[in-house]
Amino acid sequence: MSLLIKTHLKLAKTAIKENRTRSLLTCIGIAIGVASIVLILSLMGSISNLIRNEVNNIGGDLIVVRPNSTKDSITSVIEELTSSNSFQKSNLTISDVSAISKVENVAAVAPIAVSTNTISSEKNTFSSVSVLGTTDDFIAIEPFALKFGSFFKDESEGKTVVLGSTLSLALFNTINSTVGKTITIMGEKFMVIGVLEEIEKSINFDNVDFDNAIIMNINELNEVTGSTQIQQINIKAANTESLPQISADIESAIKDNKLGDENFSVAYGDKITHPASSLFAIISGMLTLVAGISLVVGGIGVMNIMLVSVAERTHEIGIRKAVGASGRNILMQFLFEALILSILGGLLGLMLGYVLAFFISIVTPFAPYISLGILALTFTTTLAIGIVFGIYPAIKAASKNPIDSLKHYR
Amino acid sequence: MSENTVIELKKLTKRYGYGDTESFALKDFNLTIKRGEFIMIMGPSGCGKTTLLNIIGLLDRDSSGEYVLNGEDVASISSKRQARLRAKKIGFIFQNFNLIEDLPILENVALPLVYTGYTKTARLKNASNALKRFHLQEREYYFPYQLSGGQQQRVAIARAIVGDPEIILADEPTGNLDSRSSHIVMEELKAIHEEGNTIIMVTHNPALTVYATRVINMLDGHIDTDIKTVSDANLPQPINVKIMKKKSKKNRRKK
Repeated sequence: MSLLIKTHLKLAKTAIKENRTRSLLTCIGIAIGVASIVLILSLMGSISNLIRNEVNNIGGDLIVVRPNSTKDSITSVIEELTSSNSFQKSNLTISDVSAISKVENVAAVAPIAVSTNTISSEKNTFSSVSVLGTTDDFIAIEPFALKFGSFFKDESEGKTVVLGSTLSLALFNTINSTVGKTITIMGEKFMVIGVLEEIEKSINFDNVDFDNAIIMNINELNEVTGSTQIQQINIKAANTESLPQISADIESAIKDNKLGDENFSVAYGDKITHPASSLFAIISGMLTLVAGISLVVGGIGVMNIMLVSVAERTHEIGIRKAVGASGRNILMQFLFEALILSILGGLLGLMLGYVLAFFISIVTPFAPYISLGILALTFTTTLAIGIVFGIYPAIKAASKNPIDSLKHYR
Repeated sequence: MSENTVIELKKLTKRYGYGDTESFALKDFNLTIKRGEFIMIMGPSGCGKTTLLNIIGLLDRDSSGEYVLNGEDVASISSKRQARLRAKKIGFIFQNFNLIEDLPILENVALPLVYTGYTKTARLKNASNALKRFHLQEREYYFPYQLSGGQQQRVAIARAIVGDPEIILADEPTGNLDSRSSHIVMEELKAIHEEGNTIIMVTHNPALTVYATRVINMLDGHIDTDIKTVSDANLPQPINVKIMKKKSKKNRRKK
């Protein structure tokens, strides 16, 4: 058998070389599909990498509770596209936060609730600003420093907010301290008591661009907007050794609090690095769809060219059968040709994808991300495409009648 | 059945079409072929010569009847097994040579060995030896289109004998050749026959029957006349040392 595989490979090589132009065109068809997949995976990988680095910076003592969204599936991406606000489905509540704070070895608990509001200062008005509701533990968990002022301690201080640095600049047209000034959210006046340092990380595990956000107490946010949806709860553990135990305790604490509802997940360490943004999920979902379609189109190209090849070489098939090739031998010969075509296309696509990823990395913070997983996925995908779209022409070749084939001339 | 019998056909029938369009290429055809015979099959067009050759060569199947090749009933074996037997026991020579244009003649000759489990080195060595015999060794890497018709047919004969088959089937091997090339090809076939090979050849040319040990005239799917010019006892028999047989045991595909 191994002898024949060698022969098949050599025959496929000869056949592809002889029809260089059309083989190249077919490969490009596959390459475009593979390139888009590689590009998506590379981007997603680099986003996860950014978040992983951030989590590592914070320290290994971070635990995150998220409502169970099925953001990974295509249907929920489409659902998110059609619904205006994806946070409305969260089932985490303030009482969950207090339940977690009672768990042993938990040092700090901060919920993250985001709503989008119009805010105004005496000078400017901005719509669609992220207003983040949390507790005073927030600053103990996040690695943020304050540029001016201080973070709020608790709600007794009255209506106070902390501004992101870019937002502070935009609202008051000054880079100087804006502490003590007043902003208006939905008719309510709030006093600025702090401004964050510039963070310049719009991608993070909280899914909030802090440079452009307002942070206030979650209860005040609740009063102003009428409802809050906690999209995430960040927890700082007292020690890093027993993270699995602590997260298990947290899980059971929330479950008790929710009377058995298990629609949430507790993550720590590398598992936090799930790209939190629904926007990325939507974009990558769309890109995957397009990539899938172009891969299918590429596969049809392979099938097309293989059918031409089979028709062109009918006479050869007749000769081979007459001198003793079985149907299986012929099938393998043509299947190998299709496989090599699609694998060559896959390699081309891999390179093309990384070149594109490199160009994207010039204008964005996403560094091209190469992993064994991406390489393996590319290889198996192209292999599968080769088999799926090569098997029909190969079967057609194998089932040709030798006598008729011998009468067939080019 | 004597042990010298290579092929035995009993009541072989090949039917085309059904009902009103039914016609018979062969009808109740009986034939016994002994080792070392050089049979010429003659007859008008459409008398079933080529159908007979295709069935003997396991390229086609009979509609009913019995076909015993080397003591094995092969009328209803699987097509995979048929292919195996074609590779090992049957050598084909065609009127239009049927060489693969994209392969050099050395690889064309080695083609049957690809499917019988020879290593590449053994394949090319055997093919080279076979070509040497036909004085084409120095042209091993020529492509078929670079050779004359006579040379191409000799390449095809080399391909037919390279696997050391039991029978060689030739379908008008001189049909596309001028008389000089025809003569050379016939002399080569004669030489192969004298080494004890069994040859079955279809021809339209009565002048070639001088090479045969047995001439069969066919008419409408049955034997019209069957004349043996050499008695069975005087048929050439194979000397067992012929072409180098080096199979790689490890990679051999055998049940």
